[in-house]
Amino acid sequence: MTNLYFGVGRQPRRGGCPVRIGPGVELSAARQFVTANDPSPSFLARHQFLIYRLFSLAGLIPVGAFLVVHLLTNASVLAGPGTFQSRVDMIHSLGPLLVPIEWAFIFLPMLFHAVVGFVIIANGLPNVGSYAYVGNVRYTLQRATGMIAFVFIIWHITQLHWLGTPFGGGKFDPHHATSSAAVVLRPLLISILYAVGVLSTVFHFSNGLWTLGITWGLWTSPAAMRRANWISIAVGVLLGGAGLGALGGMRSVDIEQARAIENRMDDVKRMLEGGQSPVDHQSRPGAVPISGTTY
Amino acid sequence: MIKAVESAEHSGGAGQQAVADHGGNGHAAAPRVVRVRILRQDAPGEESYWERFEIPYVENMNVISILQQVAARAKSRDGRRVAPVAWDCNCLEEVCGSCTMLINGRTRMACSALVDKLLEESGDEIELRPMSKFPVVRDLVVDRSRLFRALERVKAWVPVDGSYDHGPGPRISPESQEDAYPLATCISCGCCMEACPQFTKIEVVRREDESAEAFEARKKTAFDAGFVGAHAISQAMLFNGHPTGKMIADERLEALTSQGGIQMCGNAQNCVAVCPKSIPLTRSIARAGRAATVWAIRKIFDR
Repeated sequence: MTNLYFGVGRQPRRGGCPVRIGPGVELSAARQFVTANDPSPSFLARHQFLIYRLFSLAGLIPVGAFLVVHLLTNASVLAGPGTFQSRVDMIHSLGPLLVPIEWAFIFLPMLFHAVVGFVIIANGLPNVGSYAYVGNVRYTLQRATGMIAFVFIIWHITQLHWLGTPFGGGKFDPHHATSSAAVVLRPLLISILYAVGVLSTVFHFSNGLWTLGITWGLWTSPAAMRRANWISIAVGVLLGGAGLGALGGMRSVDIEQARAIENRMDDVKRMLEGGQSPVDHQSRPGAVPISGTTY
Repeated sequence: MIKAVESAEHSGGAGQQAVADHGGNGHAAAPRVVRVRILRQDAPGEESYWERFEIPYVENMNVISILQQVAARAKSRDGRRVAPVAWDCNCLEEVCGSCTMLINGRTRMACSALVDKLLEESGDEIELRPMSKFPVVRDLVVDRSRLFRALERVKAWVPVDGSYDHGPGPRISPESQEDAYPLATCISCGCCMEACPQFTKIEVVRREDESAEAFEARKKTAFDAGFVGAHAISQAMLFNGHPTGKMIADERLEALTSQGGIQMCGNAQNCVAVCPKSIPLTRSIARAGRAATVWAIRKIFDR
């Protein structure tokens, strides 16, 4: 009868091993196993701890780290279109490496974080109505802002980075960083949606920083958690300010003027690269018509 | 502040509603009756239904004494004879952990839930429901075997079984004792699991042709795939901090990093907020997180 175990191709689990006391006992033990209906846990179930820890880590590095760089870069527009353009040029100096880098270190880790995040959300049961504690409100907000951030980031990348016009406003042009972004953000509704998206993302990151510290065991006592909370608040305020500052900066910029600065910088770059003479920016084939106007 | 229905105080008559006035006008007028709404269920898997009861008010009642009165009368508020409401209780002093239920929507012990305070919070009626994260056996009685299975999973004990003399145990410093004592006050009431948004109900229904052992095995497998809960994480930390208990520290960490382990915590911190014994559960969880971090690194690089 013992062969029945191996007959169905499964190893007995802990405590499920038949003990030969008598034929009857063995039979019932075997039956217990067969009817126990427990397929061995899946790959994902067996590596749940590792997956959740990688999920937590991905939120900080590289996704969170990118968020910090991204928002601070954008906020440099407050120092003028020229400053922002030079920051963008610095990023784009990576050239053909840029696309593989953004996929490997930004898009794929973000997608992984999002997929595991949705699994976590689906398995939770928010109960802030019955237990309205601060921690529980933050738990619920963390999930809500995560979902808002997901939708926002998909829209943000698809519209500004990949497709442009189908989602309104045109595409981001790395050679005309400020002016092309300013054109996209000109409608008030778009700017409001961006503000909501950016603030949700910033809350999700800075609150996530605090929970990450608990998850990995950086701060363990309630007093340490309270102190760490100030770090999380400071990061949130700083990044929220940077994000809103970038939005305000892009909106308040004079597009014509920014365009002129960017064209001058573009000319310098072209001369340095290939010794070419300045091009006529009005009729240059690469100039992207934005909202019906070629700047 | 609660609403006071003046007319009900004077109109009198059997079954009339009387509402407590615990307001700031000096002497509180005692309510004449206490109204209770109980979510009942006749057996596992059956539909639940509300039933309302009314019992005479007595000073300093707790929810257990209300349930005793409800059982003694076995009559609903509209006068129908009904089966007495079933509930669990034992010590009546918040030590045994058996009378946990949802009182006015929140998990707590019925024995330490004082009626006068509840009426202050909720006005004229007290609501009782069975815990929502454990399978209902009958009325307010739930099957908390998953709670005890979680303690088994993390080996929440000191491994000193045997018939021979182990000699005296190692000395424990007063600091270490003070650190461990709060964790040792856990009464396995299940409040932390009930309030946890990451802890969801697992109910395994026995099949008709299933033996008791097979059913138990299936239940264990189902429970082991779910979250262990804050209490088990805290107990694992209690025994990992004990000089003898620490001998199987790795086995506990293995359990805590398996499916449904420490990683399921979502840091809502409801557990510590509802714990009737004020156990620093989030400190235990963070310590377990740190131990799991170190243990995972050791597991990867030391083998």
